[in-house]
Amino acid sequence: MHEEWAALLSDRVPDCEAKVVFGKAGDKSIFVASPSLHRVCTLLFSHEDFDFHVLQLITGHDYLASEETKDTPAQRARIEVSYLLTSFRKNHDLILKVELPRENPTLDSVCDLWASANFQERECFDMVGVRFENHPDLRRILCPDDWEGYPLRRDYEVQKSWHGMEVEPEHKMNLPEREFEKRQKEMAAKHGV
Amino acid sequence: MISERMEAKGLSDFEESISFRQYFINIWQAVFSVAKGMWITFRYVWAHKPVTIEYPEVREVLPERSRGRLYNDVADCIACNQCAMVCPVDCIYIASTPKPEGEEIPKTSNGTPIRLNLNQFTIDEALCCYCGLCTTVCPTECLTHTKDFEFTQYDLDQMKYDYLDPEIVAWRDRIVEK
Amino acid sequence: MDVKRDRIQTEGQEGVESELLTLNMGPQHPATHGVLRVEIKTDSEVVVQAIPHIGYLHRCFEKHAENLDYRGIIPFVDRMDYLAAMNMELGYVTACEKMMGQEVPIRAEYIRVIVCELGRIASHLLAFGTYAIDLGAFTPFLYAFDMREKILRFFEEISGARLLYNYIWIGGVWNDLTDAQLGLIETFCDEMWEEIDKYNNLVSYNKIFINRTANVGVLSEEAAYQYGATGPILRGSGVEWDLRKKRPYSIYDRFDFSIPVGSGEQGSKGDCWDRHIVRMREMYESIKIVRQCLKGIEAGPVMSKVSKIIRLPQGEIYHKTESPRGEIGYHIVSTGDKKPHRIKVKSPCFTHVSLLPHLAPGLLVADFVAVIGSIDIVLGEVDR
Repeated sequence: MHEEWAALLSDRVPDCEAKVVFGKAGDKSIFVASPSLHRVCTLLFSHEDFDFHVLQLITGHDYLASEETKDTPAQRARIEVSYLLTSFRKNHDLILKVELPRENPTLDSVCDLWASANFQERECFDMVGVRFENHPDLRRILCPDDWEGYPLRRDYEVQKSWHGMEVEPEHKMNLPEREFEKRQKEMAAKHGV
Repeated sequence: MISERMEAKGLSDFEESISFRQYFINIWQAVFSVAKGMWITFRYVWAHKPVTIEYPEVREVLPERSRGRLYNDVADCIACNQCAMVCPVDCIYIASTPKPEGEEIPKTSNGTPIRLNLNQFTIDEALCCYCGLCTTVCPTECLTHTKDFEFTQYDLDQMKYDYLDPEIVAWRDRIVEK
Repeated sequence: MDVKRDRIQTEGQEGVESELLTLNMGPQHPATHGVLRVEIKTDSEVVVQAIPHIGYLHRCFEKHAENLDYRGIIPFVDRMDYLAAMNMELGYVTACEKMMGQEVPIRAEYIRVIVCELGRIASHLLAFGTYAIDLGAFTPFLYAFDMREKILRFFEEISGARLLYNYIWIGGVWNDLTDAQLGLIETFCDEMWEEIDKYNNLVSYNKIFINRTANVGVLSEEAAYQYGATGPILRGSGVEWDLRKKRPYSIYDRFDFSIPVGSGEQGSKGDCWDRHIVRMREMYESIKIVRQCLKGIEAGPVMSKVSKIIRLPQGEIYHKTESPRGEIGYHIVSTGDKKPHRIKVKSPCFTHVSLLPHLAPGLLVADFVAVIGSIDIVLGEVDR
């Protein structure tokens, strides 16, 4: 089914470069080029073969560049944004994906098609830092308005303090218990046991 | 004044005019349905036994599997570190050293040899999320949830329990007696 | 809804200016069911605009999950929707199992369905009780908690915890049920059936309750689609959509039950009363499912063999199940490691909070409380 959809998408939106991606298990997804996203979504929303009248979720995934290891295949640095579309009338699902660079990722907002995109895009902006253009009210939603950084980036480091409050204070980290073994070794070395 | 504003907002049904007949039907329905509800409430006065208990004087018997404060029987602990590994909140701190060569290797109650000296076994109960994962991975079943749930402290640091401390055993005996 | 003018000029009263009043409801307001803060702009008694502010309970579960193994995530999943933790576990666990191709013993599947349906009843009982409190009736809350306590007590017996169970594991369930416990559920079902009749007579068909809820906060079918509403909210708007029926997961395809939908019996379709009655009728359906489970349950193991370190194959999955509040979906991205690359939760309450700005304009402040109560928010899940 996904292959037919991808063919139909490529047919109607010539520059969308739709391709089907499938891992070793799980669900298939369709990748499209990011500039054509809004046109693709309009087609998915209105075309009667798709009829995706519900947008359920917008997710951002951050990938850092990495070498191939025993467990994981090699990755290139990128941000993927997934749109989970559903049709209650036709009872089918689609994971639509776009790829963005890690620096200054921007996308067109789809709020004019689905009202649920409003909160989802705000969350995606808050957590991964994808900027949605033409969004009516792009503010942080879960974090405070003046929070720094995007928590769900893989290289995120939490800020040291916020409004005079210490984040992760040392006296709550149970350091004496964590470093018990190290201290024991130091003591042993000192006393020559 | 207010009704005018609401009308402008399309809320005309706020003060909708109803017929004389409907007015009395509404009153009848209201009286009837409230009386029906009152009858249900009224029956509770006699037909329902009290379900609350007066807590400090009367204590509930907790089910066998209840997950309360953790207790580690250090005599059986082989310092395998599995509980610390599986703990999702990292609240178990274990330190151990290999036994010096030539020393006799004791065995636990189920026959597992203890090859390591346990130097530290501390659980921060304030961090513990009582998920029970550590008790399921324990190979000698020395780490268990007790049914104790009353262990409030004045200081957060007092919630860290060192299970090598002999006083802990006294606490355990107090719980078992009950 | 765009409110540019804060000053209002009323006709016939030139020279007298009035202003919109900004009212902060929450974060510690009894009617917001948690730490939801809604900034409402009112024109006298009428709400003009409502802006929900969320995030007071934000723990960033998704960041935690990136550093945990697949088993260790289950206790955290409980803590999202703490009122129906069993259903949250089932969603996560079935997603992992589907990805791994893990077989689950048939007895475990039956037990899962039993505890999930009991969890649904417990959650709806709380929704019903607190909704009555929101509208000024205190007694039904006590009755609901009396029955809810029985379910929680049963859960404590089987899993050891009252609220956050960590009971459904990848590959099965933690503990087996004894025959005595199954008998206990059977008597509970009979009792519960009568209780719901009582609740309906006491609250649902009470004229005062109907007047407070009918025709209030009407959500049309089209708007429900637009905002991505699911669960009782969507069914209250007259859409017959239930994942247990439309896309059966676990063993839900074996059971015979119907999907209650709102029809506008007391007012117009999709109002607060419809959403309320859908929940009440769902409890009957849940009892029906539990009874069928008790008939069909087979003897056998409750846990299949799962390797000590769970690895999901490289790929991604979006799996959704029906929780009491709507569709709970897990989008798991795995790179083949023993930790997930990313888990994203589609929480039903998060989308339902976004309904508030749509439903609020034109309501009275007291009716707005009725609307918040009728969409049954759990803030642990909204903020994750």
